[in-house]
Amino acid sequence: MRGQAGVARNDGWDMPFEAMSAVADEDLLAAYAAGDATAARTLTQRLTPRVFGHAMRMLGGDRAEAEDVAQEALLRLWRAAPAWRMGEAKVTTWLYRVTANLCIDRIRRRRSGPDLDSVPELEDEAPSAAMGMQQQARAEALQRALDQLPDRQRQAVILRHIEGLANPEIAEIMDIGPRAVESLVARGKRALEAALIGRRDELGYEGDD
Amino acid sequence: MSWDTKAMTERKDTKGDLFQVGTDAAGLESFFAEARAEAPQPGGDFLARIEAQALAEQPAVRSGVPSRAAQSPIGVLRQLRDALGGWAGMAGLATACAAGIWIGVSPPDGLTIFWGGDAAALGTIGVDPLSSFDLALMEG
Repeated sequence: MRGQAGVARNDGWDMPFEAMSAVADEDLLAAYAAGDATAARTLTQRLTPRVFGHAMRMLGGDRAEAEDVAQEALLRLWRAAPAWRMGEAKVTTWLYRVTANLCIDRIRRRRSGPDLDSVPELEDEAPSAAMGMQQQARAEALQRALDQLPDRQRQAVILRHIEGLANPEIAEIMDIGPRAVESLVARGKRALEAALIGRRDELGYEGDD
Repeated sequence: MSWDTKAMTERKDTKGDLFQVGTDAAGLESFFAEARAEAPQPGGDFLARIEAQALAEQPAVRSGVPSRAAQSPIGVLRQLRDALGGWAGMAGLATACAAGIWIGVSPPDGLTIFWGGDAAALGTIGVDPLSSFDLALMEG
């Protein structure tokens, strides 16, 4: 799925960008630190959608806040680039961790702030013609259910089932053991099932099968 | 993509098992599939802003003289080594220094014919002394 999205985004790229599409993030970051402007552009195109998407899901669809978080996470990456040690950490693993931590900080500040119950409305994502209202409603229902989960459960479920990462990488991102990841995902999914089971018919799943 | 297909298949398989624990009774996999299909995308303006920031934060292109290396002691040593002709030059210089000290402290018997006894007055016998500096120049 990532691959397809990547191809779609790469359509307008020039040859140097195309040539870079096969290069690993870590090598691009080294090229960035060495002053390669093409690497800066390629990394921006490649990493921003991931970081932004993860922040959107963690923050319940608040686009402005997700943009702030994504910008901050990437700024930290640019500044870490010169001292980056090859082979020690994957760029995306590092970014998922920084992004999620920034999001959780914001959520906690939001909770302790005055607007305790204000949940941002999921913004209109300008759905494509292929995506019907019902599909959007399902995605929104899932997001609302995710919003109700404890932060760490939400993070684990998003990384596992939406970002599609394997448990060892999630364990590294969350700085816990793989069994703890399993447990968080299982508990999160149970809570999601409880929240969504009543909405299955309402959201039109019976008609789909 | 094959993962998505699997998710859809699982959903159909477990359709009759509502309310059983761990059987995806609520069709969670299909909710996740919808969420993956509907990934939030950053706007063009935002991408442009991120790119501008990436370029602004980028270290300058490294030129012939490394700027960061000069700031650290290791960088200074490296520069010195390069100025002396790399490791070969450094080795030559070290050999010349050792030879100079050896000749000065404990002259070999073969050399004593140039001067009488322990009076190392090389000027008197017309030999231009080879200092370690001269040796280094010859080596390097």
